[in-house]
Amino acid sequence: MNAIEHIPTVCPCCGCGCGIELVLKNGKIAGVEPLKSHPVCKGKNCLKGKNAYLYANSEERLTTPLIKKNGKHEACSWDEALDLIARRLSEADRDAVGFINSGKCTNEDLYLIQKFARIICKTNNLDNASRFCHSTSVPALLSTVGAGVMPTSTLSIEKADCVLIMGANIQETYPMIANRVLMARTKGAKIITADLRRTPTVKNLTDLHLQIHPGADAALINGMMKIILEQGLADTDFIEKRTSGFDELKSYLDTVDLPEIEKITGIDVERIKEAAVAYANAHNACIMFNAGIAQHAGGVETIQTLADMALLTGNYGKPGTGVNPLRGHSNGEGFGDMGTVPVFYPGFQKVNEETAGRFEFIWGAADLPDKPGLTYMEMVEKCPFLYIMGANPAMSAPDLNELRKAFEKKELVIVQDIFMTETAEMADVVLAGTSGAEKDGTQTGVDRRVQRLRKAMEPVGNSLPDWEILCRLAEKMGAGEHFPFKTSEEIFEEIRKCVPQYRGITYERLEQAGGVQWPCPDEGHPGTETMFVEKFGTPDGLAHFQVAPYKAPLEMPDDSYPYILTTGRVNFHFHTGSMTRRTERLQNEISEAFAEISLEDSENIGIAGGDEIILKSRRGEVRTRARVTADIKAGQVFLPWHFPECLANMLTGPSAGPPSRMPEFKFSAINIEKVEADGK
Amino acid sequence: MENNFYLAWSPDSKIQEMGSSGGAVTSLLKFALENKMVDAVLAVKKRNNSRFDAVPALITDPDLVHEAAGAMHFAPLNMVKIIKEYLDGAMDMRVAVTCKPCDARAFIELAKRNQVHRENLFLIGLNCSGTFLPTVAEQMIREAYGENPQDLAGEEVDGGKLIITLKDGSTREKDLEELARQGFEMRENCLRCSYKIPRMADIACGKWGNKGNAATFIEICSSKGHEFLEAAVQGGALVMETATDEQIEERKRKETEAVENAQAREKKELDELKGYSSQQRLEYWVGHLNRCIKCFGCRDACPICFCKECYLEPYRGCIPGGETPPDIMFQLIRLSHVADSCVNCGQCQDVCPMEIPLTRLYNFLNREVADIFEYEPGVDINQPPPLTTVTDQELFIDPPDIIYEDASAR
Repeated sequence: MNAIEHIPTVCPCCGCGCGIELVLKNGKIAGVEPLKSHPVCKGKNCLKGKNAYLYANSEERLTTPLIKKNGKHEACSWDEALDLIARRLSEADRDAVGFINSGKCTNEDLYLIQKFARIICKTNNLDNASRFCHSTSVPALLSTVGAGVMPTSTLSIEKADCVLIMGANIQETYPMIANRVLMARTKGAKIITADLRRTPTVKNLTDLHLQIHPGADAALINGMMKIILEQGLADTDFIEKRTSGFDELKSYLDTVDLPEIEKITGIDVERIKEAAVAYANAHNACIMFNAGIAQHAGGVETIQTLADMALLTGNYGKPGTGVNPLRGHSNGEGFGDMGTVPVFYPGFQKVNEETAGRFEFIWGAADLPDKPGLTYMEMVEKCPFLYIMGANPAMSAPDLNELRKAFEKKELVIVQDIFMTETAEMADVVLAGTSGAEKDGTQTGVDRRVQRLRKAMEPVGNSLPDWEILCRLAEKMGAGEHFPFKTSEEIFEEIRKCVPQYRGITYERLEQAGGVQWPCPDEGHPGTETMFVEKFGTPDGLAHFQVAPYKAPLEMPDDSYPYILTTGRVNFHFHTGSMTRRTERLQNEISEAFAEISLEDSENIGIAGGDEIILKSRRGEVRTRARVTADIKAGQVFLPWHFPECLANMLTGPSAGPPSRMPEFKFSAINIEKVEADGK
Repeated sequence: MENNFYLAWSPDSKIQEMGSSGGAVTSLLKFALENKMVDAVLAVKKRNNSRFDAVPALITDPDLVHEAAGAMHFAPLNMVKIIKEYLDGAMDMRVAVTCKPCDARAFIELAKRNQVHRENLFLIGLNCSGTFLPTVAEQMIREAYGENPQDLAGEEVDGGKLIITLKDGSTREKDLEELARQGFEMRENCLRCSYKIPRMADIACGKWGNKGNAATFIEICSSKGHEFLEAAVQGGALVMETATDEQIEERKRKETEAVENAQAREKKELDELKGYSSQQRLEYWVGHLNRCIKCFGCRDACPICFCKECYLEPYRGCIPGGETPPDIMFQLIRLSHVADSCVNCGQCQDVCPMEIPLTRLYNFLNREVADIFEYEPGVDINQPPPLTTVTDQELFIDPPDIIYEDASAR
């Protein structure tokens, strides 16, 4: 007799946090259906969500731990692998180990890896993909409004009457956020999109497209703010009551020259005016941005200008307003919340002596690290030991040739993943983790929404949930008393004690579709849809205007490398493709890379659509096919980064300094060469 | 049993309490399982006891049937897909399925295409006055009714009103039109739907005609329906009495009123589209369809679509892969494949992340096709779908002569 069961869980494919139902037939995942009762997705899923977790059944799954012997990975027992790691890690010097983690892991997995790093390896060397997505957003928003989170709720975006989308192609990469923008637009909201490409978002959801020169966004926003001030559209009441530093901003804006802005941005002043007036006149104006803004050396400045503009017009503290960073990963908020970053303990508690002391008390541990750890690429460069959980830097990090050289020099690379990723190939020990369909846990999506992942099937082969691997390893390293967890819920109970924002959230409360949005200080608290209603997250509760002039990108084009490369994503794949490229229906849609090139450039170089081309930067080269389009301007090239056969990040490289250390993925100087018919 | 109209209720007071209108359906399902008349029951149950979180349940234990008791208005589930996709079309198991009229109609269409085994299905049709999306309903209870959604104990649609019952037993009612003005509208396919009583099922059950008593009005629509009910009555699982003329009249009156409203709504919407110039119509549809992100949601949710090798897949060479939006033929191919058999169930539009008014497109074309071929999908299992069937008569139609005005244009 057939048995059918529906397991509600959350999609792993982007930060939206949509509900899905795994349909189990006789205990196996037979299909995925949209979760009709879910407030974010409203019973709708994109193609990624509709195929979510089907990769859990992939034949390519790692089913057992592996140890590299004579250059080849060989299967071994968990004891063998963990004994080896325990022995080597206990010999490592303090701060010699770097922990790279992922927004695909659950909060419970992430909480344990930081606890492991801090208690056992005595280090704050912890970082993740947020370094590559929002390392600019966090300092920018901390300095202005006191927290780097999305202040509104995804659902509230519908209430906006103007939406400014900066550097995000939401229709392809955040479909259910695009849905909310569409709902707002249907009710009459004006949608302004700044993007260097004419993306589907631009074509179908946008009223005013600002086809901006790459990296010029801070100039655009400073220009808009100047216009807002000149036209008397600032919210003086809000500025007076809730902000500080306005006079400095105003003096700076007085010096801004609009014709100069027009030159930097490539946008006509009249269009900038139209955007500024529409934004400032809106009752609820909502800014959302993503990597197109954040992945620049000047990202901090740009995001500061966005916050400035929202403050200038009083667009904070109401539903459907604010400056909203979109998170790529399904647990893209959680991997900050859990303190898996070099500067924060769980709950965004700054790494310092006081915090270390507090956690020594909570955890009953001694000698916790009280100095900030190394960031992602610093660890790759400097740490002789790397423990990588769920991340794939061999595709996602910049300047991959250099990264590979660095990996070759490592004493020990441990990779914990569900597939033999490009990074796992280089590992000395590979630990077989489970997918999100094989474990319980929580994840926290873009709008601070904490939701439950539910175990739908038993772990494949001998694979183990990430948190369980960490518990076993801790036991072997003599720290078992700090890792006594038998279920993910036990870990969550400890998280609630350490993370003030999660205090009122329980697994029981998360039974309800849509979860609970933090901050949630106690069990009677309904959760928080809109942040900063009365106070900002700064110590004085006020928002602080920041003067943030435009900063030019790091590597400007020259005669040898005359084109600007910008990388990004497509509708059908997610990030390094480790999940989506192992999903049949997504792979059917698109299975190889392409480079978008303008009509003008294609004519100049003499290439047609489908021609094979080589893209070269100072750091490397890749071969791909040209997609000739009117959707990108001359001098610019777009390349998706999902495809191992055409590693976009071979070409990228230059990174910002502190505090962000953001690699400038969205701006590299490259050259285009045509591959002649004989393959040369 | 000489007539087809009955009032029925469960003799079990516990089931009476849990079910709606006397618990007749719950009792019947339990009896059918206990007596191995079916291998399983496919019905709708509440997850976490929430009236906004309905989930299909395949039940084989008679003692668990009560989990699916009670009427639901916020549960527009796709029952057909469960049978078609996950239970091999009930080819090798006998299933009793509770279905809305659109589910029942889709089963009939699929049976014509040999995708479900009609003989193995016992279709328990439930009268339907329309459904709300659960997310819309939850917000409506909170904002329009000012109540905590978790306090909701039941709801019914009657006389153009949505009447909700709270856990404390009190009721609140609001005019459906007023709710719609506030943005809380039923699914638009439901508003246009003229099938309020699913007579294509084996039995059609509802409260119309029960005159407010705790009893279910049942119309028997097939010999299988007769057989199941008779067995249940004889087995002591059901109490039935013949409906009075007055009760039949009341039911008829309510149905007529509801159907007339739906037809008026359908006419209004379709007339609006028909009123467009061809240029306007093109702009309207292309404007909507260009938002498509090729999620395949409409195809995957469609109870009529069933091809294993679908034309829309990139490897078929018809619609190039990887394009957003896909070539507009994506929608047009689907339309040409299911337009004759669309049962207006609304699943395609429910799942569309880009809010494309797909039911309007399909319903619009289906009404045209229905007139041309005198074909009503999902009603008569013996009536073959016109776009995929050639009749003997059609085989002998002479091809039309094509006369070119200008010979050189050839």
